[in-house]
Amino acid sequence: MKIFAFTILVSAFYSYVGQWVPQKETYPPETVELSADMTTEELVAAGQEIVAGKGTCLGCHTIGQEGGALRFPDLGNIGAVAGTRREGYSDVEYLAESLYEPNVFIVEGFNPGMPAVHRPPIGLTDQEILAVIAYLQSLGGTPTVTLATELRWQGQAPATPAAPATPSPGGAEAMDGPALVQAYLCNTCHSFDAPTPGAGPSLYDVGRRLSKAEIYEAIMEPDAVVAEGYAPGVMGATLNATGFYDRITSAQLKTLVDYLASLQGG
Amino acid sequence: MKHRKALSKPFLAVSFLLLCVFVFVWDGAQAAGSSMPLLQDAGGYRPFPIEGISSRVAMWVVAELHLMFAAFVLAVPLFALIIEFIGYKTGDRRYDELAYEFTKLLSVSFSFTATLGALLTFGLIVLYPKLTEYLMSIFSWTFFPYVLLFFLEAIFLYSYYYGWGKMNPKVHLLLGVLLNLTGTAIMFIADAWLTFMNTPAGIDEAGNLVSLWGAINNYTWMPINIHRLIANVAFGGSIAAAYGAYKFLGARTEAEKAHYDWMGYVGNFIAISALLPLPFAGYWLGREIYAFSQTLGITLMGGTFSWLFIIQAVLIGNLFLAANYYLWLGMERIPGSERYRKFIKYLLASITACFIVWATPHSLVATVEEARQMGGAHHPVLGVLGVMSAKNTAVNILILTTFISFLLYRRSNKEATVSWAKAGKTAQFAIFAVVVGIVVFLGVYGYFVEATVRIGLSVPQVLSVLFAMVSVTIIDIFLFRDAKITGPIQWGKMPNRAQYALFFIAITFAWTMGLMGYVRAGMRQHWHVYGVLEDTSPDAFTPTLGFASNVISVTVLIFFTFIAIVFWITGLSGRKAWVARPDVPPEDETAQALPGDGDAQPAKQPAWEGAAS
Repeated sequence: MKIFAFTILVSAFYSYVGQWVPQKETYPPETVELSADMTTEELVAAGQEIVAGKGTCLGCHTIGQEGGALRFPDLGNIGAVAGTRREGYSDVEYLAESLYEPNVFIVEGFNPGMPAVHRPPIGLTDQEILAVIAYLQSLGGTPTVTLATELRWQGQAPATPAAPATPSPGGAEAMDGPALVQAYLCNTCHSFDAPTPGAGPSLYDVGRRLSKAEIYEAIMEPDAVVAEGYAPGVMGATLNATGFYDRITSAQLKTLVDYLASLQGG
Repeated sequence: MKHRKALSKPFLAVSFLLLCVFVFVWDGAQAAGSSMPLLQDAGGYRPFPIEGISSRVAMWVVAELHLMFAAFVLAVPLFALIIEFIGYKTGDRRYDELAYEFTKLLSVSFSFTATLGALLTFGLIVLYPKLTEYLMSIFSWTFFPYVLLFFLEAIFLYSYYYGWGKMNPKVHLLLGVLLNLTGTAIMFIADAWLTFMNTPAGIDEAGNLVSLWGAINNYTWMPINIHRLIANVAFGGSIAAAYGAYKFLGARTEAEKAHYDWMGYVGNFIAISALLPLPFAGYWLGREIYAFSQTLGITLMGGTFSWLFIIQAVLIGNLFLAANYYLWLGMERIPGSERYRKFIKYLLASITACFIVWATPHSLVATVEEARQMGGAHHPVLGVLGVMSAKNTAVNILILTTFISFLLYRRSNKEATVSWAKAGKTAQFAIFAVVVGIVVFLGVYGYFVEATVRIGLSVPQVLSVLFAMVSVTIIDIFLFRDAKITGPIQWGKMPNRAQYALFFIAITFAWTMGLMGYVRAGMRQHWHVYGVLEDTSPDAFTPTLGFASNVISVTVLIFFTFIAIVFWITGLSGRKAWVARPDVPPEDETAQALPGDGDAQPAKQPAWEGAAS
């Protein structure tokens, strides 16, 4: 019996160690919605989302990191230097080749190893690659590509992106704003139907007071601007503790910001 | 009645656990029966029929249990054969008896392994038909030699076990060799299936088979083969040592204690000896993963699973700590070891320091805010210790420290009598000093060179440590030839806490195996076959490490419950024949030997004293 109890104790200890480290669920990459009528800004934003998500680019590349590159070149100023890397190549051509055939040209000081992004396991579509190029151009340069831009490498990518294997936690992808407020427990600290403050300021009329960008910042960087009378650090710590930042998807965040912006009071 | 109570305790524990499992399964089956079609096809997947258990978790647990038993069944014949061979060459029957006692654990374990393998196969066919169909399209021709080898293994195993002492020793040894060869070949075939899922090869862009040999001989096949072979020996040794510890705690005579103390020591020695080269094999495996796909390698080591390796560092650090602790406790039963006890505190300090460095995380999984506070994904202070330069250095020093502990243990009751003793010891010390200097220098140098150069530095580090271990051992063998013995090893004079150290090592090994099994499969993330066959089931997401840890703990507990059953069944062979109870006076009940009470070996003379390490 002692041995059995000892076995349980040791296993429980290792389980505890497992709980002690940061907890993160990783979901299959989601397909970013792209449409022909997107503005350049929207295309850049979509590209940024792909770079951080489905493209898995940030596992190896940094963007504007001080102290040098991580494993592969830092992309902080790629929009400015892309046109100068290869003779006879425009910035768009260089970036496209780097994505479709990454080992044709290797930046000095680095080793080959980047996978072609249009093939599995990354498997970006031609349109998604254009969005990525637009984003990369924006890093120190000016985006010029659109979804109508034609590249000689196109046609090798899958015609349609692989369907996401599963929706985000609890099938919350289809939730509207009020449902997200409930799901992420925002209403525990904030009131939504009256100007009465709680542990956090009332969001009853937040759409009248803040722009969408400010609401976005208030969620993602809550200490950037702290509402008068409230302590800094509380919201960030709360959201971290509840795993909000790990769980929320970009689509959900957009829905949530849109919903909050619609709250005009009254 | 005392022994009967002692017997009932483990039975109560096992029965309670099985009852819980039964209630859980029954309850789930009732719920499933009322609310869910049993085999509802869902795009190549079927849900597990018990609510609350996903198909993935069910297969995860079964696969891990199968692997643990398979590792044990493959490892025990390997070191049983070696021990039997030592007995054959030296004529010392103790080794032969020890090898036989290890082998006794095999027959029941073999059945468990086969049953779990069948359960895994059926589970995959039923729950993951799409994946199974694809893997069959690639590997179907490997199934026939697999089954044939399995038959042969059964024949060799049972003839090896039942033929013990009943045939020419050379023929028996040959059976042991054949048993090991078939077992290893089976593992190699199964490894081809699982490594293909991580690093597929031999197929075209659409995933169709082009070359079966290409699919088998993929990037990680041979590294996994070697890694598993070594890890199996370490794992099997630790379980065998746990068996020795279990029997030691229940031993009723000094002779039994001496025997099982020795058995525990030998099992642990095998386990730790195999543990030492394991990081090197793991390094080769990691390198091949990077060679196949940097993305896969980075996912494994620098991305989603970077914190998993912190858990692994805790496990491995604990293994080294417990192994050294066991050796230090063991020195107490050796007259003359007092000379070396003063060094233990330094060895402990070295192990602790290495442990801390190894467990220091590199890339932190941080939120935007945390990363901002730290000024990046790396901790401003501890980040320096979280890189591979520091970790490689730490693990090499850790291995050297454990090796020194073993050397001290080995020479505890010996005094060198050769004329060159002082020079020999000086040479050993010099080798250690130079190698530690090289390892530390290369570790520090790694901070000042590019990644491509840094990765290469681990090779001379490893080679230096191997050189030290081999050269110092050779010197040691000659140094203590014809040594003066200060006293025989007093086998059996071991505190009970040393036996718990052996249990701890066995549990930690099992847990490490579970964790590494998880990461090997988990690094594919939402792919069944990386880059070829996507997982589109509801379980395609990668769970948190906390969840994975809970699954591993449950698996480990089930495994040890099964192992307890194996130990109990094995112990039955040593029981005396049953006699009708009315004929036995109450005071004679103790004559009925029971498992856990050290009954397997009849009390003989204490023949274990002085058995060499």
